[in-house]
Amino acid sequence: MGKGSARNGNGIGTQAMFHLMMLPGMVFVAVFCYVPMVGIIMAFQDFVPAKGLLGSEFVGLEHFQYMFQLPDIGQVFTNTLVIAVGKIVLGTLMAIAFAILLNEIRVKFLKKAVQTIVYLPHFLSWVVLAAVVVNMVNLDGPVNQMLTAIGLEKINFLGSNTWFRPMVIATDVWKEFGYNSIVYLAAITAIDPGLHEAAAIDGATWRQRVWHITLPGMLPIILLMAAMSLTSILSAGFDQIYNLYSPMVYKTGDVLDTYVYRMGLIGRQYSFSTAVGLLRSVVGLILMVTANELSKRFTERKIF
Amino acid sequence: MRAYGAGWRIMGLVCILAAGVAGCGGNRKNQEPIAAEEGGMGSYQEVLECSFGRRTLANPKFPDGDTYEDNAYTRYVLEKLNVRVIDDFEANGEDYDRQVSLAIASGELPDALFIGSKDILDELVENDLVEDLTQAYEDYASEYMKEVYDSYDGRCLDTATYNGRLMAIPGTNLDSAPCVAYVRQDWLEKAGLIVDEDGDHCLTIEELERIGRTFLEKDPGGSGNPVGMAFVPYLTADDYGGSGYTMNAVTSAFGAYPKLWIRDEDGNVVYGSTTPQMKASLGKLAEWFEEGVLDPQFGTRTWDDITALLTNNQLGIAFGPWHIPDWLLNNVKGMNPEAEFAAFTVCDGEGRVNVAHSNAGNGYMVVRKGYSNPEVIVKMLNLFFDDLVNHSGLEQEAPEIAAYMSLGVDNSARPFQVEVNAYTSLLDDYADIKGCMNGEITMEEVRTAESKSIVESIRRYLKGPKAEVSDWSRYTSRMGGIELIESLTKKGQFRWETPVFRGTTKTMKKSGASLGKMEEETFVGIVTGSVPLDRFDGFVADWKAQGGEKITAEIEEALAAEGGNGR
Repeated sequence: MGKGSARNGNGIGTQAMFHLMMLPGMVFVAVFCYVPMVGIIMAFQDFVPAKGLLGSEFVGLEHFQYMFQLPDIGQVFTNTLVIAVGKIVLGTLMAIAFAILLNEIRVKFLKKAVQTIVYLPHFLSWVVLAAVVVNMVNLDGPVNQMLTAIGLEKINFLGSNTWFRPMVIATDVWKEFGYNSIVYLAAITAIDPGLHEAAAIDGATWRQRVWHITLPGMLPIILLMAAMSLTSILSAGFDQIYNLYSPMVYKTGDVLDTYVYRMGLIGRQYSFSTAVGLLRSVVGLILMVTANELSKRFTERKIF
Repeated sequence: MRAYGAGWRIMGLVCILAAGVAGCGGNRKNQEPIAAEEGGMGSYQEVLECSFGRRTLANPKFPDGDTYEDNAYTRYVLEKLNVRVIDDFEANGEDYDRQVSLAIASGELPDALFIGSKDILDELVENDLVEDLTQAYEDYASEYMKEVYDSYDGRCLDTATYNGRLMAIPGTNLDSAPCVAYVRQDWLEKAGLIVDEDGDHCLTIEELERIGRTFLEKDPGGSGNPVGMAFVPYLTADDYGGSGYTMNAVTSAFGAYPKLWIRDEDGNVVYGSTTPQMKASLGKLAEWFEEGVLDPQFGTRTWDDITALLTNNQLGIAFGPWHIPDWLLNNVKGMNPEAEFAAFTVCDGEGRVNVAHSNAGNGYMVVRKGYSNPEVIVKMLNLFFDDLVNHSGLEQEAPEIAAYMSLGVDNSARPFQVEVNAYTSLLDDYADIKGCMNGEITMEEVRTAESKSIVESIRRYLKGPKAEVSDWSRYTSRMGGIELIESLTKKGQFRWETPVFRGTTKTMKKSGASLGKMEEETFVGIVTGSVPLDRFDGFVADWKAQGGEKITAEIEEALAAEGGNGR
């Protein structure tokens, strides 16, 4: 710190270049993240585009009241929570498990190959992947052909209320676990290999080392990632569900995003959509702050 | 179409928010009006630039090099009116409505644009965003155009009139019905199936079922994976043009009018999707699904999937308006040259075909508030629906456009994107075509340029080898589709129902989306058997409780205020 303070002494002068380099990013954040926040006012107005933000009539909490008396809203919240929690829990577990296993691979070439293969789906858009998924699991697709081959009934996976949620969660986990494991891999690499060596000398099995060394070492990152993902608890992935669902599975698959989309942009109810979006952000923020507090209390580590 | 959803949504939110912040101050600069020569088609003294929002089609069949912005029609507009058409945005289908919503939200309306729905027009008018066209129509519309609109007894212009002021140029919608079932004629022959013995092209519901079952069992297309009948998940349509792949032909046989507001026998306003007839129609579909005659993947099969079933020779029945051979079945013919379609409709137990009158207005052309020369839209109306329609020497004077007509380039290529035709024009034009084919009248006596071009197409088709798919399309849609309409009209087999209300009420605005969701979900459930048929009665009760009853009352009230006869 001593050196740093000394440098700070000559003031911004020497660091001007670096500050300047930050400028585009700051401007970007200001223009695209902070300025649009003014639009939150719409949630409390009966917003009419032609009248603008200043001219539209204020209606207070009317849109929120309306939201909670909609007949489907309970169902939609349930769907959102079940799918989002499923994705967060399974996605995190898969990524951690994968990172630990991958770390054990000693052949460098194999390790790189596996990594590249599992990262790949992350870079494809759901529009493309949904077409792949649909063709895989439709009644004439390979999955159903296999089912018939081993003597089982065909299943219309994307048209069944039993199967839709598992399908959504499974395909999302498949798409993202590889990419999500990067951060865990980094956490594992940061663990002092001396600990592992000492444990091995003391006769600890691989399982014991994972349990007592690797996982505790990763804990801060796991907590951080889990807390961050809580912010998305009310968004279950619009792109994915929009491209996979149909009226047949509204009962189990219609989530907040798709519901608001159909009501809002297609029905042009701007204020209502904003109100739902705002509610989602507020819930996310509360959850994240709570998670941070809990983490501080129980593990004596603040996440951020 | 769905594929673009996510991107637009995000863009939408950004734009809406950005527009909100800017306080919608993004209005265009308004220039001084440009002077023009006298008359309904007077050319402007300087080039007048006019920006448009354009609704496009995936395959408009342009000749190489032509685009929506630069094609025979836009060049004709430049030549005749000295108006340069510039496209502000072009978008397909549902995306177009989204683009319009965004343009409204951002306050950046193009100078002129097509508006598909009455709701959006209402919004534009309420917020004073569009020019009053009353005077422009009065001063510039040609006598012929005024006659055309008058053939609807004012019903068409009324749809765009607010407090006595004409705020848009409406497209016309003549009554065309019924929902046609185009059936693979070559498959019927191959399978040795004889239906419609009296030759009136009306199938009973049992005959339709038999066709589906035979196609499923015998697989005359040889695809190895046949489907009997297929419908889109939304099942029903409230207008004729949107009835493609819907069950509207089936509901017609049961006398149901889904998604329309009608009066029941006691004179009360009812919503057509909640009637016992609708329940019976759904019951029939559920039976078919159970048996397998109806596509086992119904519900997840989209519009494009069904088109693929047709082109892959898996499906041999296509439901829709009479003109689907021109823009949908042509794909099937293109892939399978042996394909032939016969036009049928489905009648009820007494041999009648139950159909509903169309909304007289069909799409609108509006001019944004503050544009320098709002009358330009009326001049375009004259140009496209008087000048071009009644032109005698198109081949010589506008060979490019004559070529467009025979190539079957989609009419969306015109910057004026609604159709304006006299109330009786469908059958009038057909009478010309049929008369000319029979040798009763000469080519010179055929009244419109388009009809002439169609006669030539049909002649080419009948001569054989040199015929293009577009000739086949026109032959099938006219001599099959419109012939069916003509014969049903002549024999008086239609039973016309008049929907009493087409607008949007206050509660509809609020609860419409969730009621629509409930309807769609319940109907799909009933058909696939995941919901028992008797749940329909529960749906009706829920529908009433969750806003339906209130909407019905609002409509009764609105009709009473209007003097009771609606429309």
